[in-house]
Amino acid sequence: MSELLWVLFDLVLAGLTVGLAWVAVATRELRRGVLLFVGLGLLLAVIWARLRAPDLALAEAAIGAGIAGALLIAALRDEIGVSAEPEDGYTASRRLVDLGAIGLLLALSWGLLDAFLLSDGVRLAEGVAERLGESGVINPVTAVLLNFRAYDTLLELAVVFAAVLGVLSVGPARPALEAGSLVLTGLVRWLVPILVVVAGYLLWVGAHAPGGAFQAGAMLAAVAVLLRLGGVAHAGLPGTAATRWLLVLGIGVFVIVGLSVMFADRAFLQYPGDIAGVLILVIEIAATLSIATALALAYLGGRPVGWEADCDSPQHRVNRGAADRGGDA
Amino acid sequence: MTDLLVWPILLPLLASLLALVFPRRGDWIGGMASLAVLISAAWLVHSVWDNGVIAVALGGWQPGLGIALRADGLSSVLLLMVAIVALTIGIYATRYFDNAVVRARFWPLWLLLLAALNALLLSGDVFNLYVTLELVGLTAVALGALGGSRDAIVAALRYLTIGLLGSMAFLAGVVVLYAAYGTLDMVALASVVEDRPATWVALMLMTLGLLVKSALFPMHFWLPPAHANAPAPVSAALSALVVKVAFYLVLRLWLDVFTVALHPATAWMLGLLGAVAVLWGSYRALRAPRLKLLAAYSTVAQLGYLFLFLPLLAGLPDGPAREAAFGAVVLFALTHGFAKSALFLGAGVIQQRAGHDRIEELGGTARALPVTTFVLALSGIALIGLPPSGTFLAKWQLLAAAVETGQWVWIPVVAVGSLLAGAYVFRVLGHAFAPGDRDGSALAAGREELPALALALVATVVLGLAAGGLWGFLDFAAMSPGGAR
Repeated sequence: MSELLWVLFDLVLAGLTVGLAWVAVATRELRRGVLLFVGLGLLLAVIWARLRAPDLALAEAAIGAGIAGALLIAALRDEIGVSAEPEDGYTASRRLVDLGAIGLLLALSWGLLDAFLLSDGVRLAEGVAERLGESGVINPVTAVLLNFRAYDTLLELAVVFAAVLGVLSVGPARPALEAGSLVLTGLVRWLVPILVVVAGYLLWVGAHAPGGAFQAGAMLAAVAVLLRLGGVAHAGLPGTAATRWLLVLGIGVFVIVGLSVMFADRAFLQYPGDIAGVLILVIEIAATLSIATALALAYLGGRPVGWEADCDSPQHRVNRGAADRGGDA
Repeated sequence: MTDLLVWPILLPLLASLLALVFPRRGDWIGGMASLAVLISAAWLVHSVWDNGVIAVALGGWQPGLGIALRADGLSSVLLLMVAIVALTIGIYATRYFDNAVVRARFWPLWLLLLAALNALLLSGDVFNLYVTLELVGLTAVALGALGGSRDAIVAALRYLTIGLLGSMAFLAGVVVLYAAYGTLDMVALASVVEDRPATWVALMLMTLGLLVKSALFPMHFWLPPAHANAPAPVSAALSALVVKVAFYLVLRLWLDVFTVALHPATAWMLGLLGAVAVLWGSYRALRAPRLKLLAAYSTVAQLGYLFLFLPLLAGLPDGPAREAAFGAVVLFALTHGFAKSALFLGAGVIQQRAGHDRIEELGGTARALPVTTFVLALSGIALIGLPPSGTFLAKWQLLAAAVETGQWVWIPVVAVGSLLAGAYVFRVLGHAFAPGDRDGSALAAGREELPALALALVATVVLGLAAGGLWGFLDFAAMSPGGAR
């Protein structure tokens, strides 16, 4: 009986997801599209939970719905008066895109259907379970992300770094909001310490339960978003030099750990079994700080005030004005 | 020894971090790192020459559970090309960006792009390839927007959107592969893939994603604005390296992983698209009003040639003829890498000296900038495919393979494409040698002209003369034990 209820629940969930995705894309008002998209992220988090992938559910809720939503809404602020309404003559190519998307969907379904007929459904899970004991952690997801496929995670940190370098090179940060009302600032003051503790917990718990650097980093970034909304211009980020160090810390520590074990006659990132857990924790702490800094800078939307004050030697200061007119004006 | 494989990735990655933290030392950090990458790449080529395919299981986990890095003849020569071109462009960039603040933005992104390109070339895992594709795409977009003009940012955003679509399609293909075969390692995949719908769909999705990224006609529309509006050193890297690694992946997947599922009809379709790209790209290059736009459309055409090789490779049985054709496509890609970066750097010099790059108004350039004009001529020789450039030998092999397989249809395409290339190169040179009102009497070469000259000389002379060695190297690396083929 309860089996049937779950099937019903899943069907409703699936229908809602497709419907919400459709409406989010089809809506003509950008703001509504963004809000629906955030809702879609939450729905996806529920689906991941249903699929018994709580790590993904956490990541989806924190990054897909939370931080991505905050970024999109901040971007909306810059686009006041812009609607998603198609211009005249644009509809033909829009239709072509629709047809292409439907074609891809059909092809993908065909391929996946055949794949599921072919496969035993176990794939790498057995291998992970078998070697989990050697990984230094008990949570299989963390074992894959930080040990078995740590190199992927290293490059993913580099992707985040690349994105934030792009944000920093395009223009100055958005102007800060004015300090909010007493109620808002009071709430922020209450929430910030709680969120910092939650982030620390997520980071620590990642070794044996759902959690980890990406989720914790997103939580810390949420602190920055709250501070910024509460009227704190620097969003909790330290000075320029310290922020730069924080930004590179994650990749830097990751690579240094990997190289240190390599110099001890092992492969790159081949942690010795007895200290693997400690090394993973060290990497995750550094990665959390870097991810949080990167996401906070992305929310600022550009270079914070004074970011490039120390970039040029004194004799080049004269040229500085030209760069400012080109980039920062 | 296998540690060799991580250095070309980690050195520029670490240097990128340092360049952000010490913004005033960017030139020094970038130069040293580029040089170190070149040394590690040369060392890698040497080591592949001695040992054949080199592989390392990162983290010590067997590939499948973990990720393997691999270098064979194909990936190591491309790695060396990337290292040489990147070092030369980097040297030019210190002169091109005369503003220290802009250089401080340039170096971290540039070094990250270098790390990403090397990571892509060395990766042996299809999911890891997706991550490297994203990294290459994001850094390329951010570099393209460095100019800061409205056009540059619009073009960069379009490039970003289209690049994301491409990587999404690639990722979807990876998902199907993993769902069907339960592994992501390329060597393991090559031994288990079967000729059935799941494989076809995966191959289609991944190829589609890569075609978008390598700008094959009709997915080329994003390339000309993005490449023409980026700062010259960045355009050079985008045209010479970034689209090239996407083509490398097509080659890698088609020849190494999906061999059983490869039907001649599919290869023919890509060949036909390549043929259209050759003709359309060359025609648009001929009509381009600006030098950098010409160079960008020429990239569309030259990538078309690379795709012409696919039906030929699919049609040739294993043997000397196929190896000759394989060597030719690699030689073509290498020569284009050097020639196109030289052309873009030359265009950058002209743009900065003259304040514009409108072809109609290039009069007097030959007198004012003789070295750069020589660079335009040399890279033109390589783009047309005149001897002694590497392109000449590659096109010769292309025609030989077309005769061998009876695919006569490609011969007129190559002929017309080469004629059009000749026309657009001589159009530029004609204007450059015309008398102009700008009297520069200085015959001495400016320091910013030399990097382009070096690249053009490699494309036209060195690769043409050293091509025999390249064939030997690729053959050896392909036959050695542990090779995927």
